[in-house]
Amino acid sequence: MSTQQVSWTDSFSQAQNAIQSLTTILPAVPKPVIASENPALSLLNDPELAEQISNHIRQPDSGAGDNQLCRWLYDTFHTSKIDLQLVVLRFLPMIAGVYLSRIPLRKPLAGFEAVLLAIYAHETASRDGQAVTINISDASHPSVYHENNHPHKTASPELHLVVVSPTLEPQGTIRSTKRARIIGVALELYHSKIADMPVQSKLDFCEFCIIWAGQDDDVNDDEKEDDQKEKEGKTKKEKKEGRILLPWEMLQPMLRILSHCLVGINKNNKKNKELHEAACHACRSLYARALHDINPKAILAIGSLLKLIKYQQTDVDHTELPVTNVIHL
Amino acid sequence: MSGETSSSSSLANKDERKICANGSCVQTDDIEAKLDSGNIDEAEADLREGLSLNSEEARALLGRLEYQRGNVEAAFRVFEGIDVQAAIQRLQSISTEKISKKPRSNTESGLSGPQQGANLVLEAIYLKTKSLQKLDRINDAAEECKKVLDAVEKIFPHGIPDAFVDTRLQETISRVFELLPQLWDEAGQYDEAVSSYRRALLTQWNLDSNSCARIQNNFAAFLLYSGFEAGPPTTSTHVEGTYVPKNNFEEAILLLMICMRNFSLGKAKWDPTVVEHLTFALSICSQTPILAKQLEEVIPGVIHRVDLWKTLAFCCSEIGQRKTALDLLKKGLHKHEKPDDIISLLLAAKICSEDGLLAAEGIEYAQRALNNCKKRNKHLNGVCLRVLGLCYGKQASVSSSDYERSHLQSEALKSLDEAISLEPENSDLVFELAIQYAMHRNLNNALRLAKQYIDVTGGSMLRGWRLLALILSAQQRFSEAEVVTDAALDETVRWDQGPLLRLKAKLRIAQSRHMDAIETYRHLLALVQAQKKSYGPLHSTHQIEDERVNEYEIWQGLANLYSSLARWKDAEICLGKAREIVECSSETLHTEGTIYQRRGEIEEAMATYVNSLLVESNYVPSKISFGAIMSNRGLPMLPVARTMLSDALRLEPTNRMAWLHLGFVHKLDGRLSDAIDSFQAASMLEESDPIESFNSIL
Repeated sequence: MSTQQVSWTDSFSQAQNAIQSLTTILPAVPKPVIASENPALSLLNDPELAEQISNHIRQPDSGAGDNQLCRWLYDTFHTSKIDLQLVVLRFLPMIAGVYLSRIPLRKPLAGFEAVLLAIYAHETASRDGQAVTINISDASHPSVYHENNHPHKTASPELHLVVVSPTLEPQGTIRSTKRARIIGVALELYHSKIADMPVQSKLDFCEFCIIWAGQDDDVNDDEKEDDQKEKEGKTKKEKKEGRILLPWEMLQPMLRILSHCLVGINKNNKKNKELHEAACHACRSLYARALHDINPKAILAIGSLLKLIKYQQTDVDHTELPVTNVIHL
Repeated sequence: MSGETSSSSSLANKDERKICANGSCVQTDDIEAKLDSGNIDEAEADLREGLSLNSEEARALLGRLEYQRGNVEAAFRVFEGIDVQAAIQRLQSISTEKISKKPRSNTESGLSGPQQGANLVLEAIYLKTKSLQKLDRINDAAEECKKVLDAVEKIFPHGIPDAFVDTRLQETISRVFELLPQLWDEAGQYDEAVSSYRRALLTQWNLDSNSCARIQNNFAAFLLYSGFEAGPPTTSTHVEGTYVPKNNFEEAILLLMICMRNFSLGKAKWDPTVVEHLTFALSICSQTPILAKQLEEVIPGVIHRVDLWKTLAFCCSEIGQRKTALDLLKKGLHKHEKPDDIISLLLAAKICSEDGLLAAEGIEYAQRALNNCKKRNKHLNGVCLRVLGLCYGKQASVSSSDYERSHLQSEALKSLDEAISLEPENSDLVFELAIQYAMHRNLNNALRLAKQYIDVTGGSMLRGWRLLALILSAQQRFSEAEVVTDAALDETVRWDQGPLLRLKAKLRIAQSRHMDAIETYRHLLALVQAQKKSYGPLHSTHQIEDERVNEYEIWQGLANLYSSLARWKDAEICLGKAREIVECSSETLHTEGTIYQRRGEIEEAMATYVNSLLVESNYVPSKISFGAIMSNRGLPMLPVARTMLSDALRLEPTNRMAWLHLGFVHKLDGRLSDAIDSFQAASMLEESDPIESFNSIL
């Protein structure tokens, strides 16, 4: 009991310290955050603070090695307090997005890289470098959820071992050929904490999916008039600037996050509705990109998400009683 | 929302609405009027008298009426007047009675009097829950719903008896089981959601198989997308040999597979979302073969055959079964099916572009896709041109006539150029165009594009570095190529350095730095042997899988190197090592032949070259070496030499050595102008030969 108390106050004061050091970096840390009784939670969820930090990350020289905010993110992640690590992860879409779009510009990015490597190192350590694997059982063997009429021949079911995420090696720097993997692993961690992430963070993620895809959802474009298209042509070219290679090691965690934003959220909430729309848009962009890359696995995965969106619209509520004119006892 | 629609539609049918019980019926007009003016008690009294009901039953019916009219708030108020505890106790008493099962008709439930009433009350509590849900009081709704379930569980501790199957009571219970986890999910209480899903699925509730399939599907979707780690299910009775999933992914896939199985056994109604969830889950973990197997078992008719072929083709092409994938696509592209399906056309063309023998067919598919783009799918125009270019390029590489080859090459360049003008930001295109220029020996353009590729990809692709080094090597700029290779080595982790080290060794040989090259080969050997020890099945990285350097290649390379240094003994040792790995290889035999030849043992060399050609009849280096020896054997042997060398050139039109020796043959035979042409070709090629074939990066 007493040790718990200590660790709680410890965590509280660390969050307080984080807020304190943030006041020297940001123009004005919002009052509710400073006065909050649960500082870590406020850091994670305060929309105004998030906007300030996001603006900061988007500034032209934000990724440099001596950048104060990067330093803060790095230190905050290194407190090893889960609730403070969540705060850093909350900005991962923004950091990864801005970072990747600046690679071809040859800007100094050591600050962003330090944060990304910290997240990667954390995941490597907590997985002990091991691969994430699952077993897939053939449904012809009995399981906790079903029996089988045929008496099974083998004592234990035949399982198919599948690697979801390969083994990890420690990385001291971001070598360019490992960049996608390091960001992919960071996104895997983000995905595992997705239930805790504020909606705005997921919205940021969807925004960058569209930029990375570099592909408008042209599928709907065919219906538009040609001259209208020409007018839009110019803005389109500008938007495509952030197009990046999307190797599977990055696309896979991206799609898992996106699938959550599409199917895993409760759409009755207003903010979630906005997220759902953004995720639909991102999904169509990535589908267009998968077609452009003629990437069968991505076409299958994203195609099924698009079909699920379609089915959602015509969903029948089976928990509803049939409406009849004659009501029987 | 749904309330409004049902109340407006009910207005039209107002006259027809009535409530029936105990053999008589009442019109609801008066009752509805009383309800609308807030006189619930009066309305209840009317109903009680008219249909001889008790108070709870009357309230339940009134509530249902209000609910159906879309007045959820009013319905909720009516339901609040029901004594839930009493109703549950009554249910408890009937569960102990012996229940006579009657066939169910449209007008009457299969329950007798008191049970019927109890069911009505249960249904009322259920509707109360639904009303709360619609009033956006999700937590209250979930609590209420849970109460019903707790009660049902208390009443039927061993599951619901068979006698209740097909009764309205059972229907209500099924609905409760379906609704509760959804409510918890909506309320954000994920652990409650998980336990109520498992509660529904792990106990024998006699849920009808359709609702059971829906609950399984909903739970699978929850596990896949909610982001909540559910932890493994626990059961009190574990049967030996029964599979227990350990995490969300495993559990979701299992549930979906059970659904698929029940669909194909005809036990549950087909639900298209199940197959989409499964497609997503299995493609995310790259298990398209398992997906294909599942899809093959789907009963015919539920998925359109062309869609099915297409999905199966995607699954096959993903695991490199090109032939099967192409056959499936062809079925779908048949003129009586969907000949214009652009995605199928593109994938077919892409598959063909990877195989010289299919490239011609691929050109046809790509052109069909291109025509298709004129009407619709304009955004895919660039992709069509791209695959068209790739098919032309591949076709060119296998073409046997010079004229045709240069025509195809320029077609390839034309298509790719056009594609890149449409999609300047597509870095893959930049790479492909660079390769195409390189093969065309337009090295300046190739160099420019290769540099551009490294810039836009931020040096993240190994193949970009390798291409740049090869182009520089083709320009005979070996030391610069080595600098590029070193830069690439810096950007690559040790495990992935194999192809770069191999390249570096070759670059050092080209600069006659043989000792340095041997050093590099030693590094490479150490790396490969370390990989052999530690690479388990779980280790795979995206870029390297197919291009990992194998040990055989290294021994072979070292053997060639030692042979050129006349260190025969070392060369023999390396060849021996190579033979331990690949027992019979044309390449090893060729190196052996070269050693004999260099030592002046021409007869042995000849015999070995012939052996090498017996192993692989199209092995070009042996053809050239054999041809070269023949050309030294005087006039009668010249035709043999000429045939051999021409044959080599047919297979590899840009082989410098073949042109050189062919030049000697022409010269000896007195065809001086032919000889000049051949020598010229050889000297031009010498200036543009890369250290490894450009094809090796593709």
